[in-house]
Amino acid sequence: MLDFKLAPSQPEARPSEEEIYDLIILGGGPAGLTAAIYAGRARIHTLVITGPLPGGQPANTDVVENFPGFPEGIEGPELARRFVAQAERFGVRMIHDSVTGVDLSVRPFVVRTDMATYRAHTLIIAMGAVPRRLGVPGEDRFFGRGVSACATCDGFFYRDKRVVVVGGGDSAIIEGLYLTRFAREVVVVHRRDQLRATQIHQERAFANPKMRFVWDSAVEEILGEKTVTGVRVRNLKTGETSVIEAEGVFIYIGMEPQTELFAGQLELDERGYIVTDRRQRTSVPGVYAAGDIQDPLYRQLVVAAGTGAVAAMEVEKYLEMYPQNHQG
Amino acid sequence: MPLLNDEIRQEVSKMLAGLPGPVRLVMFTQKFECEFCTETRQLVEEVAELSDRITAEIYDFQADRAKAEELGIDKIPAIAVIGAQDYGVRFYGLPSGYEFASFLQAIQSVAAGKPELSDATLRVLAGIQKPVHIQVFVTPTCPYCPQAVMLAHQMAIASPMVRADMVEAMEFPHLAIKYQVMGVPRTVINETVHIEGAVPESMVVAKLQEALRA
Ligand SMILES: Cc1cc2nc3c(=O)[nH]c(=O)nc-3n(C[C@H](O)[C@H](O)[C@H](O)COP(=O)(O)OP(=O)(O)OC[C@H]3O[C@@H](n4cnc5c(N)ncnc54)[C@H](O)[C@@H]3O)c2cc1C
Repeated sequence: MLDFKLAPSQPEARPSEEEIYDLIILGGGPAGLTAAIYAGRARIHTLVITGPLPGGQPANTDVVENFPGFPEGIEGPELARRFVAQAERFGVRMIHDSVTGVDLSVRPFVVRTDMATYRAHTLIIAMGAVPRRLGVPGEDRFFGRGVSACATCDGFFYRDKRVVVVGGGDSAIIEGLYLTRFAREVVVVHRRDQLRATQIHQERAFANPKMRFVWDSAVEEILGEKTVTGVRVRNLKTGETSVIEAEGVFIYIGMEPQTELFAGQLELDERGYIVTDRRQRTSVPGVYAAGDIQDPLYRQLVVAAGTGAVAAMEVEKYLEMYPQNHQG
Repeated sequence: MPLLNDEIRQEVSKMLAGLPGPVRLVMFTQKFECEFCTETRQLVEEVAELSDRITAEIYDFQADRAKAEELGIDKIPAIAVIGAQDYGVRFYGLPSGYEFASFLQAIQSVAAGKPELSDATLRVLAGIQKPVHIQVFVTPTCPYCPQAVMLAHQMAIASPMVRADMVEAMEFPHLAIKYQVMGVPRTVINETVHIEGAVPESMVVAKLQEALRA
C-alpha cells in the first residue's frame, strides 16, 4: 500500500552566533519540543538544535497508541511533525544541526555544533537515546552494508536471504517478524533462554515458520570479507562457539543515552544517564535535562514530554531569579 | 482514487501557499514495463494542482528521447524538479512514504533558489571545477533517508557543477546491486565514494572533496 508522509518542516536560515540566548534546547524530540512549546509561550529567547531526527524517535515509530488525545492511535511520523509544528507556532528558532560539544564551565554556556558555536544562559539537554551497538569486531566495518539497526529501512535488501536478529525484547521480535516478509529465514540470537518480548509478540514469533531461535548466545564477531557472511556466536552456558551463516545482521539490543559529550561535565549514573532531580536540574545550575537521556526507567513519550515541560518551567524560574543574565 | 488524502492535500496546499517562484515538475513515463510510472505521474499531477505556481509536464521516455537527454534522464519513472533554472534536482522512482517530504522540500528549495547550507559548505561548493553526481539510494520506509536526499539536493542548488538524484532502491534493483546497496540511505558520489547512513553536512562535504581528488 502506498502512503505519503509529511515531515516536520525544515528549519529556516541559520540563527546568529553572536546572540546570547536565554535558553538553548539540545535535541528536537518529544522532550525538547515540549520544552520549546513552554519556552515559546513564556517568551523565553530560545534556540532549538534538533539534531539528525526532528521530532525524535516517534519519527521512526509505526504507530503510537498510548499518547493521550489520540484514541485511534497516531502514526509516529505524524506525531513528530505535529510536535515540531506546535513548537514553531510559538516562535522558537529551530536549527537542523547536531551538537558536537559543550562547555559548561563558562557562563554563558557554550554549545558547539557541526556548523557553528552558540551561547546561552541556560540549557535543556534532551538528546534522547540511540540504538545500542554490540561493540564486536566487524560491526563498524559493515554498518550500513550488512549490519543494520532499521529493519523497515533495509529489510528489502534481504529478500530470500538469511538474516540474524540480535536481541530478545519487543523491538527484536517485532522487527524480526517484519523481516520474515523478505528473508528466507530469521535467526534470533538471544543471551537468555527465553524472550523478554511481550507475550503476544512471542506467540507470533514462535508460530512463524521462518523464525528460528538460538538461545543463551552472544554474537562475538560479524564475519565477512567484502560482505557479511555470518556471525560467530558463543553459547554462554557451554562456552562453545559456532558460526551462523547469514547475509545480514539486525541489532536490537535496546537503547542507550547519548551522553558522551557531557562526561566529566555533568553527573552521570553508572549506565550513562544524566542524573536529574525532580525539577529536572542536573549537577550544574542552569543546565537541565529531560526525556530519555535522563530516564533509565520509563522511556515513554508522555514521560519525555512531561519532563520537557518541567525543565522549561524551571528555566523560566531560574531566569527570573538571575535577571542580570536575562536579555528580556 | 486520488493518491493524496484530503488531510494531506490541505497540509501540502498550506506548505506550498507562499512559494517564492515558479516550479516545473518535468516527469518522464512510459506506457508499459514501468512499475510505478502511473502513480508517479498521478502524484506529480496531484501536487501541481495544489499550487498555481507549479506546473506538471509529462513526457514519454521513448517518444521524447531528446528531452530526456537534455535533462540527463536515464531511467523512469523520473521527475526533474526545476525552478527559475534547472539545478539538477532529480527523483528516480515514486517519492512515497518518507520520501514525499524530500519531494516537497525540493519543490520549496528550487522555488527559493537559495540553498540552506553552511558558509563553509558553500565555499567548498563554489570552488568546484569538475562535475559532481550525487546519487542517494533510499527506500520509502526509511525515516533517516530524507535528510540525506535533502542535503544532496541543497548541494545541487548551490552549485551548477553538482546534480543530485534520489534513487528508490526497490524500483531500481539492478542499480541497488551495481552499487552494492545493502542499507539505506547510501550516497554514491561520482561512482567512486560512498557514504552509509545520514551523516552531518560537514562529513558529506569531506566525502565530496575526496571524490573530487579521486
Ligand atoms: C520503535 C520505537 C517505538 C516506540 N513506541 C513508543 C510508544 O508507543 N509509546 C511511547 O510512549 N514511547 C514509545 N517509544 C519511546 C519514545 O519514542 C521515547 O521515549 C521518546 O521519543 C523520548 O523522547 P526524547 O525527546 O527524550 O528523545 P528522542 O525521541 O530520542 O529525541 C532525541 C532528539 O535529540 C536529537 N539529537 C540527537 N543527537 C543530537 C545531537 N548531537 N545534537 C542535537 N540533537 C541531537 C535527535 O535528533 C532527536 O530530535 C518508542 C521508541 C521506539 C524506538
